[in-house]
Amino acid sequence: MIGKRLIGLFVAPAMIVYLCFFLIPTGFTFYSSLFEWSGFGSEAKFIGLGNYRRLWNDPTFWLSFRNTLALLFVGGFFVFFLAFLYTILINSGIWGKKLFRLVFFLPNVVSVVALSAMWAYIYNPRYGLLNTSLKSLGFEGAGKTLWTSPDNIFWAMLAALVWVFTGFFLILLLAGVDKIPADMYEAADLEGANLWHKFWYITVPMIWDVMTISFVIWIINAVKMFEFPFAFGFLQVPQQLYTLGIYLYIMGFGQRDPIYQLGYATAIGVVMLVLAFSLIVLVRRLMRRDQLEF
Amino acid sequence: MTLLRRLPAYIAIWAWVAFTVAAILWVVMSAFKSKREVLRSGLKPPAELRWENFETAWNVGRLGEFFSNSVVIVCLSVFLILLVSTPAAYVLSRAKFRGREALTNLFVIGMGIPIPMLFIPIFGILAWLRLSDSLTGLTIVFVAISIPFTVYLLTGFFASLPSELEAASLLDGCSDFQTFRYVMLPMAMPGVATAAILNFIWLWNEYQLSLVILNSPENRTLPLGLYSLQNAMQYTSDWPGLFAGVTIVIIPTILVYAILSEKMIAGMTMGAVK
Repeated sequence: MIGKRLIGLFVAPAMIVYLCFFLIPTGFTFYSSLFEWSGFGSEAKFIGLGNYRRLWNDPTFWLSFRNTLALLFVGGFFVFFLAFLYTILINSGIWGKKLFRLVFFLPNVVSVVALSAMWAYIYNPRYGLLNTSLKSLGFEGAGKTLWTSPDNIFWAMLAALVWVFTGFFLILLLAGVDKIPADMYEAADLEGANLWHKFWYITVPMIWDVMTISFVIWIINAVKMFEFPFAFGFLQVPQQLYTLGIYLYIMGFGQRDPIYQLGYATAIGVVMLVLAFSLIVLVRRLMRRDQLEF
Repeated sequence: MTLLRRLPAYIAIWAWVAFTVAAILWVVMSAFKSKREVLRSGLKPPAELRWENFETAWNVGRLGEFFSNSVVIVCLSVFLILLVSTPAAYVLSRAKFRGREALTNLFVIGMGIPIPMLFIPIFGILAWLRLSDSLTGLTIVFVAISIPFTVYLLTGFFASLPSELEAASLLDGCSDFQTFRYVMLPMAMPGVATAAILNFIWLWNEYQLSLVILNSPENRTLPLGLYSLQNAMQYTSDWPGLFAGVTIVIIPTILVYAILSEKMIAGMTMGAVK
């Protein structure tokens, strides 16, 4: 038996740090979003839902919101499409499965700032890897594209992001697939099932729970996305790259010049949390099903 | 025949693998080139190895200082994270008490909280504690944000351990603390090691809260130093210097990954795949 004293002694340190520097600050965000508060030294004025009304009428907020949703759904579509595709391919009985898994996941252990420096150079219009490769392949016109122009930069950033996250979810899906008993596929082979049949009728139902968790993890990551687009934007992040997280940061701290609209910024944080939690609840409800026994 | 049928799969996979490896290799190679060479030579290896780019990044770009900042703060954070999370996870998975599940959920819910939400309150709290712009403050914050995942991972790990030894050690007259210290903790070491590796890599690369908390140049961590190098690059267009910086930043995590990837991936997937 583990005694009461030990329970308290063992849980308390973690709980105290976690409460003081994580949970309570999160809760505080709700409170301070109700104030007009411009600077850490200055007096905060209670304005009720004023910050939220202001958000409602703020085109930059809606731009950030739209970008976050584009990231979540368009980015998510490609991430999971590719992750599933490569899960099937890597699992189709080819040689070198472990090596491939290793390389696909690699971008996830590399600093985001390093990745963004690398992609900035890949996209460089004159010397970049992308345009020089296109030109050497004979695509003169495409080889002149300005990948980081205001029209393209969001999608250029998203492509790089898809490259990173595909590897992450591939790892999760592959681990799920590895748990499927091999005789299920053998039986399907005897029945003459093709690759698609096996994927749709065996793999998907068998890794349903892993899929649910993967979607939840993606939602959390997409809603809080800050580091990658921020570093990708270099010195002054262009508005085309604003996500909710970046807009919060800019409203709170500014980029070159301080802004310190602290109450307003925390209201954006509340929007992020509400968005993340409602999407998680939605996904869990949509993906709910009876427990599969095998 | 089967090889021919699998050919498209091989091509698709190798295309992805080739791109990833080429992109990273190309960054490392460019770190050894001259400024002019970087712009002209494309994927060709460097004509000669110019180590002076690394010297520039290390001394002029001050990555040397930032490297030691990062080593100290990340190692200290990982140690403290494990110090507080391991006992908590042990109790949450092996003890019987009321509200255990609620308490576990309270810990786990942190994984769903978007980190940018913390920017302003954390800045405020650290300022109030007179710890803003300090490595101590950042360490505390690193520990706090890593607790949810670490507790979650280790709770799963402790729960998977057999209970016979625990019972036997109690019968032998060990106290509950001794049982933890001499029986359960050694068995949980593989899990603790996995948690250490994962936290090391994440915190080594952590950048958003460091950006909010740290202000003075001498306090920068490596990702922040690289970020300012990247910004300075816009004026100096010293691509090789930047790539030398990138190489310095990515080598430690890639080394750790190359040696311990199996353990890491097993840990990452353990929580998601039951």
